[in-house]
Amino acid sequence: MQAIVPYLPDLWLFLIGFFLLYYAITDGSDLGVGMISLFAHSEKERSMLIASVQSTWHGNQTWLVILGGMLFGAFPLFYAVLLSALYVPLVVMLIGLVFRGVAFEFRDHSENKRLWGLAFSVGSLIASLGQGFALGGLLGGLQVENSRFAGSILGWINPFSALICLGVLLGYVMLGSNYLIMKTEGDFQDRCYSHGFITSLVTAFISLVVHVVTVARYPHLMRKWVTYPDVLYTGFFPLLALIAFIMLLVSLKKRREVAPIIWNALIILFSFVGLSVGMYPNMIPNVASEPVTVTAAAASPSVLMFMLVVTGSLIPVILLYTAYQFWVFHGKVEEGSYDGGDE
Amino acid sequence: METLLTPVMLSRIQFAATAMFHIIWPVLTIGLSIFLLVMEILWLKTREDVYFRHFQFWSRLFLLNFTVGAVTGIPMEFQFGTNWSGFSLAGGDVLGHLLGFEGAMAFMLEATFLSIMMFGWKRVSPGMHLLATALVAFAGSLSAFWIMVANSWMHTPTGGFMKDGRFVITSHFQAIFNPDMPWGVSHMWVACLEISIFVVGGLSAWYMLRNRHTSFFLHSFKVAVLAAIVITPLQIWLGDGSGQSVFEYQPAKLAGIESHWHTNPPGEGAPWHILAWPDAAGQENAWAISIPNGLSLVTTRTLTGPVKGLADFPPGDRPPVVIPFYAFRIMIAIGFALFVLMLWTLWAWHKGRLTSDLVPGQRRLLQAWVIAIPLSYVAMQAGWVTREVGRQPWVLYNLVRTEESATSLAAGTVGSSLLIFSIVYTLLFILFLVFARRMVVRGPNIEKVRKQEYHPGIIS
Repeated sequence: MQAIVPYLPDLWLFLIGFFLLYYAITDGSDLGVGMISLFAHSEKERSMLIASVQSTWHGNQTWLVILGGMLFGAFPLFYAVLLSALYVPLVVMLIGLVFRGVAFEFRDHSENKRLWGLAFSVGSLIASLGQGFALGGLLGGLQVENSRFAGSILGWINPFSALICLGVLLGYVMLGSNYLIMKTEGDFQDRCYSHGFITSLVTAFISLVVHVVTVARYPHLMRKWVTYPDVLYTGFFPLLALIAFIMLLVSLKKRREVAPIIWNALIILFSFVGLSVGMYPNMIPNVASEPVTVTAAAASPSVLMFMLVVTGSLIPVILLYTAYQFWVFHGKVEEGSYDGGDE
Repeated sequence: METLLTPVMLSRIQFAATAMFHIIWPVLTIGLSIFLLVMEILWLKTREDVYFRHFQFWSRLFLLNFTVGAVTGIPMEFQFGTNWSGFSLAGGDVLGHLLGFEGAMAFMLEATFLSIMMFGWKRVSPGMHLLATALVAFAGSLSAFWIMVANSWMHTPTGGFMKDGRFVITSHFQAIFNPDMPWGVSHMWVACLEISIFVVGGLSAWYMLRNRHTSFFLHSFKVAVLAAIVITPLQIWLGDGSGQSVFEYQPAKLAGIESHWHTNPPGEGAPWHILAWPDAAGQENAWAISIPNGLSLVTTRTLTGPVKGLADFPPGDRPPVVIPFYAFRIMIAIGFALFVLMLWTLWAWHKGRLTSDLVPGQRRLLQAWVIAIPLSYVAMQAGWVTREVGRQPWVLYNLVRTEESATSLAAGTVGSSLLIFSIVYTLLFILFLVFARRMVVRGPNIEKVRKQEYHPGIIS
């Protein structure tokens, strides 16, 4: 066991990345469905959209709870700096998640379905905006002095993070649309196919811009792109993302039902890993002063080891039972399952 | 009023509001899930419709309650970082992974199987459904365990030492099994059960008062009464144990809770104040109604045992007195009242008054059960206020001060988020009451259970 001690922070970076990605892909789809429901043609259609995520959104959102706790435990410095720097977008996200979350139940009980349907849609949008700006704020760099955040509380408001936020919003809508292809049939599914195609192209374009702008912002990232053989591994994942993107377009054209969401998940996975590989070994990037590295942000080795043993044995169990849950609720949204539930 | 406007004070108020609002929901989730499990087992054993219908009725309330709990828990977890970054950094070695474990071991399990429990009746076999309900109940209590471990550790932070402003852990075992942990975990877990007992029993009483579905609700009422026989005295005993633990490990907190200013001289007992008004400047009570030797007796189990007074602690290390003193008394008064209510109900049962014909006539008794619903919540909140205000001025007892552990935010920033959270929480609370009331007024479905309502299982 001693042999892995030097790699503990990196292992934990990997696990945190896993939690974040799992959350972003699964709850990202749910939030995307929420944003799509802003454009629902009727209340009945919105009911169907809500029903499509009703049985799984909660488990998906719980990855955020795990992410929060594990980040706090494994990278206390990162957690403390990140959360205090991104106070405003995170509060916005929390409020959005509150309304998105209660909307399911409140809508069931309320006579005013429209109002709570709207809470579901707008809550999803607000939560996504908060997450987008939070990611933008982090990628834009945070100023850290004496282990505390030393920048402006509104530092996350800038064109760079607005661009990233736009990427996140579009990414979620794309996920939501591809998820709905799997969960719906008929006219609505047709619309998802055609809208999904356009959204995918726009999202791909924005992602490309985000990548280029981020690389241009950080000299060490840029160096990795222009030196050989570094470029082989910095370029590898964006290349995979591109392939997955082409496969997504193909699967949409061929009107596959499950393939689009899988390719979509892979695009996000590869883009995210690509960006992280570029950023490594920095955990909190910074334009002005010294960035905070993964090792510096990590908790002590004994904590990381303890957490690794416990969490490492839990993850397979969680994946197993969440897979079971997805299997129980797989298939198309049932007519009737979304008006009044079991009453 | 100036102190109210400091960012640290605003962060404290925000955290207190978040925590006090959040805790309302999990307590019922934890106890009610066990009640649901009992109902489902009874249904599977007897196949009597009444248990299936009880499950259905209470699970709707459970889900509504759970939803508000889940969405208000996330802001709490994030506020450690947003508002208490100094504390997060200082205690991160211990607290972070405890919260992570709670999420990964318990909350995930609960959230996943909750959907099968609520929406899976027709999709999984009865055996699988029972397993789902059992896992939801188990996960709820496991959540409480990890959260209370984390909270207890803030009161008795053992298992390591402070170095450069950060707690360095040397023994995970000692950190988890810290001295306050057995009491913190058990007292709160039993509080969850006790509140749930009085919610189930109190709502059942509400229906019986109106003679609506009396025989239906007599079932749940009796289950609540039977559970109360064990739980109400147990909670008093655990409360006493918690007090002993505070006396041993947090003497300044104990002195604050009891408004006890001067260590009693040898041979003289310390009195227990039933009511008092502290005068902090004069280091004494302006007035007090006391039981002689009472405090020595409850803490040391002797009439004249020494109990250290507040004046023996440096002024900067003393907790506030008025709030924990009165909060504590509210809690114990309600705790004993609920115990008495249990005895009263047993008496009525013994006299044969708990039958569907006679019970609606037991108006005073049933009214007392209805009033017990809010009272049990008040007792729990008062207990938390005693526990956490009494911990001041420390965030990690005797190691890190609350003052030092806040994020340096502008008052305007914290003030705005506090305002937003307050509005949202108030709104959620009102909406919950409106919808819960609607559900209660509508009442249960007591029709015969049809075969299509659940999965036939392997047999058919």
